[in-house]
Amino acid sequence: MSSPVVELKHVTKVIKGKTIIDDLSFTIEEGEVFGFLGPNGAGKTTTIRMIVGLMGITSGEILICGHNVKTEFEDALQHIGGIVENPELYKFLTGYQNLMQYARMVKGISKQKIDEVVEFVGLKERIHDKVKTYSLGMRQRLGLAQSLLHDPKVMILDEPTNGLDPAGIKEIRDHLKKLTKEKGMSVIVSSHLLSEMEMMCDRIAIIQQGKLIDIQQVHDYVKESKQKYFFELDWEQAEVLQSLTISYERVENGIEIDLEKGEVPDMIQFFVEKGIRIFEVKPMAKSLEDRFFEVTAQGEKVHA
Amino acid sequence: MLNLIVNEWIKIFKRPGTYVMMGLLVLAVIATGTLNKIYDNGDQTVNPQWEQQVQQQITQDQKQLSELPPTAATYKKNLQRQIAINQYRLDHQIPPDNEATGWTFINDSTSLISFAGLFTIIVAAGIVASEFGWGTVKLLLIRPIKRYKILLSKYLTVLLFGLLMLLILFGSAAILGFALFGAGDGSTTHLAYSNGTVVEQSMLLYLIKTYFLSSIDVVMITTMAFMISAVFRNSSLAVGLSIFLLLMGGQVTTLIATRYEWAKYSLFANTNLTQYTDGVPLVEGMTVGFSVIMLLIYFFVFLLLAFGVFTKRDVAA
Repeated sequence: MSSPVVELKHVTKVIKGKTIIDDLSFTIEEGEVFGFLGPNGAGKTTTIRMIVGLMGITSGEILICGHNVKTEFEDALQHIGGIVENPELYKFLTGYQNLMQYARMVKGISKQKIDEVVEFVGLKERIHDKVKTYSLGMRQRLGLAQSLLHDPKVMILDEPTNGLDPAGIKEIRDHLKKLTKEKGMSVIVSSHLLSEMEMMCDRIAIIQQGKLIDIQQVHDYVKESKQKYFFELDWEQAEVLQSLTISYERVENGIEIDLEKGEVPDMIQFFVEKGIRIFEVKPMAKSLEDRFFEVTAQGEKVHA
Repeated sequence: MLNLIVNEWIKIFKRPGTYVMMGLLVLAVIATGTLNKIYDNGDQTVNPQWEQQVQQQITQDQKQLSELPPTAATYKKNLQRQIAINQYRLDHQIPPDNEATGWTFINDSTSLISFAGLFTIIVAAGIVASEFGWGTVKLLLIRPIKRYKILLSKYLTVLLFGLLMLLILFGSAAILGFALFGAGDGSTTHLAYSNGTVVEQSMLLYLIKTYFLSSIDVVMITTMAFMISAVFRNSSLAVGLSIFLLLMGGQVTTLIATRYEWAKYSLFANTNLTQYTDGVPLVEGMTVGFSVIMLLIYFFVFLLLAFGVFTKRDVAA
């Protein structure tokens, strides 16, 4: 296992005597999409701003590729590309001039590199137009381009999908997938959109009131060995269910049963043999949202 | 660092407002020149009885000097200066140059320096605050560049912009002045009064020195505007306060200085260094050294505040 790309050690942030972030520790590995989930005001944005150096760290330390953000700012930030909330760019400059601004601030970014990045985010046609004529989606894409110029090892996106339409959200998601796959980049994403995170992330940390509550693989959240399956069937014929040994739940138009995947065909065969007409069978995926509320509700109880 | 300054320079010159400011400055010079030309009485020849006139002026001034109460110290010193210069003219046969030339026009244009200063202040007030206003500060500060370097590049850019405005002013005044009034008869010396003696100075040197010294208060107030901009992230406050002080500071200080000696510690008592090379100090006992030290103290306090707050600030907006 390679050394972590980003490492937070006992990070705490106190603003005006109030603890915003409380002893947060976690690591992010290479090539991983790491989600940062929590209700509004939980401290997602504060944490992200501490990682990129926009906010000071009260105690603890943050390492990026082994460099401390506090003491080796320039070495650490060299590996980071980021968009913090909506990318605010210079509206009176063209997209290209904006990129030039950022290119001048890091050594060794060639014209080809800029063109390559522009091509990647698909802004080639409009790159020489003023940014004030751009739509939000285009500005988001330019923001992405800006963060890719110096080939960072970590991408940090704070609420990247805020205010985007579904097409824009999908686009961002596709770009992120491409980046992690092709360039081995790690990505840190914060969001309160649960369904989004479920599709994007490998691992998700849930924080609430500045504390890390849970950190798990997305698959662990969503898939457990037994799952609920919904069977839509003709209820009228279902007296036969009385003879069923396993427990089931009666729902509208059918029943729900906890099954392992391997048991599903057997169950179908059983119904067919009994002459019950089956219209539909589908797994009832326990969504991340359900887990999220489970976990945060527990967290609230702890705090209460 | 050079690249950072280039960045800031581009951000200033990609906005149309900058060109409006430069245009207004040139326009102000043109307006002054045109008015001077219209009201120029055309009497360009030296009065043959100038010696008599000057002598008359001296006796008149001396009479006034002896009649003044001791409280009017500043006025008395100005009279002494006038007498000394006129005496020097008689002794060395230098007729008074009431003739308008390109040189005198450039000299007159020094009054427009505060106009150039005004525009520099506007730029200084906006250069940090507007990054916060646009929200672009977030993307600016997550570059692998320490914050003090970013702020320093902004400050240097402001100074460069101020220099450019001065060059535009000096240049346009020179071109227009020589075009409208000619270069004069070549008697381009300036009589300066310093430490009780009269000295002859080369006109060009004198003008450059005047521009330089007059720019000091612009630099100081620009630095102050920059500080306010960095500390409060509010460009309106920075513009408003700085321009108010630029326009009123000098007068208010002069007013206070007539009654209280502590006025000499105010910023504006010290910004006008020409009071030592050609004129009389505002408060008895002030020296060039004193003023330079005061200016340096103010200067470093402003910069310390700006850099201290900017590098420590949590960017939350």
